[in-house]
Amino acid sequence: MSDPQPAPASSRALPPPRTERGALGWLRLNLFGGWRSSLLTLISGAAIGAALFYGLRWIFVQADWRIVAEMGGRIAIGSYNTVDNCASQNCYWRPQVVLLGFILILGMAWGIAGKGLTKRIALVAAVVLSLLAFLPYSWEEMGIDVRLLLGANLPALGLGWLLSRYTPLRTYFRISLFAVAWFVVSMILLRGISGVPGMEPVSVYAWGGFMVNLILAVGGIALSLPIGILLALGRGSETPLVNLRVPVGKHRRLKWRLRLPIVKYLCVVFIEVFRGVPLLALLFLSQYLLPLAMPEGFFLTSTPLLRTAIVITLFSGAYMAENVRGGLQGLHPGQAEAARALGLSGVATIRMITLPQALRNVIPAIVGQFISLFKDTTLIYVIGVLEVVQIGRSFIQGNIQTWAGSEIEYFIFIAVLFWIFTYGMSRISRRVEERLGASSRARN
Amino acid sequence: MRLIRRREPDSRPPPGELADTGHEGSQNQVDDIIICRDVHKWFGQFHALRGITTTVRRSEVVVVFGPSGSGKSTFIRTINRLDEHQRGEIIVDGITLSNDVRNIDAIRREVGMVFQSFNLFPHLTVLRNITLAPMKVRHFTGDQAEEVAMDLLHRVGIPEQASKFPGELSGGQQQRVAIARALAMQPKIMLFDEPTSALDPEMIKEVLDVMREMAGTGMTMVVVTHEMGFAREVADRLMLFDEGQIMEEGTPEQIFEAPKSERTKLFLSQIL
Repeated sequence: MSDPQPAPASSRALPPPRTERGALGWLRLNLFGGWRSSLLTLISGAAIGAALFYGLRWIFVQADWRIVAEMGGRIAIGSYNTVDNCASQNCYWRPQVVLLGFILILGMAWGIAGKGLTKRIALVAAVVLSLLAFLPYSWEEMGIDVRLLLGANLPALGLGWLLSRYTPLRTYFRISLFAVAWFVVSMILLRGISGVPGMEPVSVYAWGGFMVNLILAVGGIALSLPIGILLALGRGSETPLVNLRVPVGKHRRLKWRLRLPIVKYLCVVFIEVFRGVPLLALLFLSQYLLPLAMPEGFFLTSTPLLRTAIVITLFSGAYMAENVRGGLQGLHPGQAEAARALGLSGVATIRMITLPQALRNVIPAIVGQFISLFKDTTLIYVIGVLEVVQIGRSFIQGNIQTWAGSEIEYFIFIAVLFWIFTYGMSRISRRVEERLGASSRARN
Repeated sequence: MRLIRRREPDSRPPPGELADTGHEGSQNQVDDIIICRDVHKWFGQFHALRGITTTVRRSEVVVVFGPSGSGKSTFIRTINRLDEHQRGEIIVDGITLSNDVRNIDAIRREVGMVFQSFNLFPHLTVLRNITLAPMKVRHFTGDQAEEVAMDLLHRVGIPEQASKFPGELSGGQQQRVAIARALAMQPKIMLFDEPTSALDPEMIKEVLDVMREMAGTGMTMVVVTHEMGFAREVADRLMLFDEGQIMEEGTPEQIFEAPKSERTKLFLSQIL
């Protein structure tokens, strides 16, 4: 070990030893590095093989996927266009337009942040929806208008991509504004306006399927981040709402100052209440208690779905606030000091220096909250809206003779559907992170 | 590097005059750009500044040094109100520091600051780091601000780094960008809070060179540093801080050759 002679110096970089190279080297290094490692490799190999065999056999041989085909459009829009809910049977175009808008947003997401998988997810979603236009239903069952609207999904995706590349809609902020606009328009369009031809009102309880999840998720995602930012800033602020300076005595210098950081405490109470109460409880409260507290005829009393949308958004915003606060606290205090020392105002310091850095540092947590919000939209079944999970259950319950036992296939289908979207979101987040990270390899 | 105006060593004001102006104050107000009268500062129970009374004249270079925890950083941070003093009076360029936000903003525009840890904005390019404040605060157009920024980057010797991000620069380069960023606001006073303490030895010189050149242009500078070579060569006056007070002040010659107090001798023997 203690060789006094230094090894002959070689100026050339040597290739690694043979055992480190090639497939054999890799196997040896990673799988069969010793008897323990080899044993583990064999056991886990057997377990993976068995799981794959039984899993694939179930998926391709034993499972009965007809439930998905039978449900068909119900998965997407529920029983929106049934005779009970839309007497004239011409309401179908409205959810179609809503879905087109969603595909447009998906296209924008691809255009601004997408690469690889995100692109594929967007493309697959649009292609599948477009292909639905060619389903072998009779023309009575599925009219030309419906088929055209379905077929328009692919062009909508392309349009979204183009918009995010070549128009002012190429910043995250503007796309978020677009998403909020889409949320509002969708709510109005689906609800209908009495007296306007083609817009006969459809009860919120008739809305259903994945459409409802998407509307709540997109609206919530676009609004919960700004709400969270405001709450986080409010919580961190010492800005008083009441700032009294009472001169005491003759000397003007002696002033009794009263500073009550009301904004701060309001934000703290809001955040802690929304984080401390289960979402399910909040949804129930918003449904049954809130209308009692509102004046008669106030528009929120007659819009149960909007109430749940607000609750889900605020709930998510409270969590988001803590994520953003974490990001702000993680910053070196010198950042704000340097900005203030340069003469930047407090608002400018937050907007241009601290907030961009804080948000960048907590992108994973923010997207985690987005994903959580998306999955939480399934909870609105408690108010009686048949969102995508519940619509399958109720369909199977209603036709129990035919479809008993098909819940498993349906739920696995739903699981894959959600997974595709959430995985797409986490991929987009990774991409955004890379892009921002590459532009600032920060050391301090 | 361009030297705009190099002062002759003997054009320094005589030391006795300097020490007195702080107490009398008002007749020399035009020349006194920073006036501190009995400034006290507490951090909770800790008495960080215990009655600082001093004056800095226009174009003077003051080096502040002393053991850690002696209040020297706190002192210069009170000058642009990054730390609030609780008693006494600070007048910067004729403006008395108070809680009035407009006063604070007005002073911060006139006072540039360079930090130990650079505090560049890592999410902005070097150029943007420099142009941001002139555009937002002084309402320069983008072109004007960039012209000023490139001029300053030439002056600190790294124009080729303009489009890089701070994280891609060495410590010395980052500190020079930080100096350029502060100068872009065209301040009347520059404060330096241990600008070379976080740097590797070979980078200290490049930063000190920039500061030396700046002193030559007649900038008023208050520098917290332990670079005694720099102090001896550039400073008009040295200030030794200890336990929140100014232990001793005087010209470099006075401090180095004939320190008055034992404390000064002891401290100098430790750092030289």
